Amino acid sequence: MGFGLRWLIEPGFWSSSPVRVALVIGGCSAVVSAVVGVFTVLRGQSFAGHALTDVSTAGGSGALLLGAGPIVGFVGLGIVGAGVMDAIGVRRLRGRDLATGVVLGASIGLAALFLYLDSTSRATTGATQQILFGSIFSIQSSTAPVVVGLGLAALVLVGVLYRPLLLSTVGPEMAVARGVPERLVGVFFTVAMALAVGLSSLTIGAILSTALLIGPAAAAVRLTSRIGWSLLLASGLGLAACWIGVLLAYDSYDWNASHRSLPVSFFIVALIFSFYLASGPAARLRARSDGRRAQPPPTQVSAPGPALNPSPGG
Amino acid sequence: MNGSRTGRSLRAMRGPGRARLRGRLSAAGAALVLALLAGGCSAGSPRAAAGGAARSGVVSAVGAENQYANVLSQIGGRYVRAAAILSNPNTDPHTFESSPAVAEEVSSAEIIVQNGAGYDGFMNKIESASSSGRRIIVVQRLLGLPDDTPNPHLWYDPRAMPAAARAMADDLSALLPGHAAYFRANLAAFDASLQPWDQAMAAFRADHPAVAAATTEPVADYLLQAMGMDNLTPFRFQADIMNGVDPSPQDVSLENDLLRGHQVKVFCYNQQVVDALTSSMRATAVRDGVPVVAVYETMPTPGYTYQSWMLAEVAAIRKAVSDHTSTEHL
Repeated sequence: MGFGLRWLIEPGFWSSSPVRVALVIGGCSAVVSAVVGVFTVLRGQSFAGHALTDVSTAGGSGALLLGAGPIVGFVGLGIVGAGVMDAIGVRRLRGRDLATGVVLGASIGLAALFLYLDSTSRATTGATQQILFGSIFSIQSSTAPVVVGLGLAALVLVGVLYRPLLLSTVGPEMAVARGVPERLVGVFFTVAMALAVGLSSLTIGAILSTALLIGPAAAAVRLTSRIGWSLLLASGLGLAACWIGVLLAYDSYDWNASHRSLPVSFFIVALIFSFYLASGPAARLRARSDGRRAQPPPTQVSAPGPALNPSPGG
Repeated sequence: MNGSRTGRSLRAMRGPGRARLRGRLSAAGAALVLALLAGGCSAGSPRAAAGGAARSGVVSAVGAENQYANVLSQIGGRYVRAAAILSNPNTDPHTFESSPAVAEEVSSAEIIVQNGAGYDGFMNKIESASSSGRRIIVVQRLLGLPDDTPNPHLWYDPRAMPAAARAMADDLSALLPGHAAYFRANLAAFDASLQPWDQAMAAFRADHPAVAAATTEPVADYLLQAMGMDNLTPFRFQADIMNGVDPSPQDVSLENDLLRGHQVKVFCYNQQVVDALTSSMRATAVRDGVPVVAVYETMPTPGYTYQSWMLAEVAAIRKAVSDHTSTEHL
C-alpha cells in the first residue's frame, strides 16, 4: 500500500507549495465550472460559454499589458462581455449564434493585439502561453483567496437564481407564465458563466476553459436525469480531472531522465475528454439495466444532452 | 431604396470624387515615405543614398542587439554609422517581432552583426528576403558553437566580444581598405579597454572561489562561469523561464529552497524580462536576505558601453558577495 501510493504520488507532492496552490485554485474553478456548466449545457448555451472564454482571453492579455494580474482581466472583461452579448441579442434564439460569434471574433482580435503588445512593448515573455494555456504552477499563493472568493460568489449567484433559472431552462413558457424575469435571470446567469470561465482560464488557460465548463457537465447530464445529481456528478468529474491532472503533471517530472515535465492543461483536458467518452457507454448500460423497470416520468430534466433540450429562453 | 443610394455613391466615386480620393491617397503615401525616410535618417541609417554613400567613406552597419552596435561604432569610429535593432530595455529580445522599418534598416546595411544561436532568428528571415552581398558576422559561428547552443547569451562570454570586434575590423578594412590602419588601432584600443573587466574577474576568482549563485534565466551564466561561480539553479528551470513556459513545481520548489535556505550568496535576476513567478522569487530573495543583482539582455542605456556594462555587472556581483548589497538596477 505504502509502496503503491509512493509509486502513484511522487515524493514531495503534498509539501510542494506550487502544488497546493494548484489544487486549491484548480479544485475551486472545476467545481464552479461544473455547476455553471450543467445549466449551460441544459440551456444550450455552450457556444456562448465558448465566446466568453475568448472574451476572457482578451481580458487576461489586456490585464498583463496594464501590469495587473491576469485574473482581473479574465473575470472583469468576461463580465463586460456577458453584458455586451446580452445587449446585442444573445437572448433571442435566432440572433444568439450571430451575436455570440460577433463577440467571439472581436475578442480574439483584441487578444491578438494585446498579446502582440505584451511581447513587444512589455517584458512578459510567457504571456501567450500563460493566457491561452494557463500556468497553474506559477500562480502566486496570494491569488488563491481571491479565486475562492470569486468561486463562492458564483456559487451563491447560481444558488439565488436556482429556482427561476431551472424553470426558465426547462420550461420557458411556464416560466413566462409564472412571471419569472427571463431577461434578468439570463443576464445574471451569463455573469455566473463569465466568473466560471475566468476562474478556469487561470487553471487551464482561456482557450481551454470551455473544456472545464462543458466537459464534466455534458458527461454528467448524459449519466443522470436529475438536476441535483448532475450538479454533484459534474463537480466530482471536474474535481477529479483537475486534481488527477495536477498529480500526473507533477509525476511526469520523473517520467524521463531529463525531468521534462508535461503541461497540466493537457492532462486535465485529456481526462475530461475521456470522462465524456466513457459517459456514453455508461449511460447506455444504465438505461438498459433499469430500462423496462419503470418508464421515466416526464421529469423536468430528462433530456440526455443539450441538443435535445434547446430552450429558447436563454 | 437603400441599394440605389449605395449605387449612387459608388457612381459618384467613379467621377471626380474618386480622382480626388486617389490624389489624397498618393499625397498620404508620399507623406508616409517622407516620414519613413526621416525616421530612417534620425536612426542613423543613410538608406536614401545607400550604395553611393558607402563609397564616400561611411559604412552603414547594423547590430542586431545594441551591445554589438556599440562595439561596431567603437571599431568603425567616424567611418561607420551603426544602428541597433534591439535596444528597448522593456522588451524581451527572444520574442521580438520585426516590422517593415526594421527590415528596411537591415537590408540597407553593408555590415550586419548578429548573435545567432536562435536569439535573433528574425535577422535571418530579413536577410534571406533581401539581396545578398553584405557582410554578416554571426558571433555564434565565430565561437564555433552549434546552432542549437542552449544558452544564447553569448556576449557575457569573455571570449565573444574580442572575436566579434576582430571580425568587425576585418570586414571594415575590406570595405574601406584605405582606413585599415585606423580600424586596427581602434581594435587594439578596444581590446586594451577590456583589461579592467578581465582583471576584475580574475580578482574575484581569487578572492571568492566557487561562490554559489541562483539565477532566473541563463542570461549571465557565461559570466558566472568565467568568474568561477557555481550556479545552483538547474538549467532546465532557467530555460523554462527564458522560453516562457511553466517550470515544473519541483523546480519552483527547488529554486525557492535555494533562496530561503541561504544556499546561495547572490541571486542574478533578469531585470529586462520579468513575470509573476520571477518577481515573487525576487521578493523571496529580498525578504530572506539574499542580495539581488540585475542582469540584462541588452546593454542598459544610456551611459554604458559594452565594456563598462560588463565591468558594472562584475562589480555588482562582487558587492553582493562581499558586502551583501543588492544592485537591482544598473
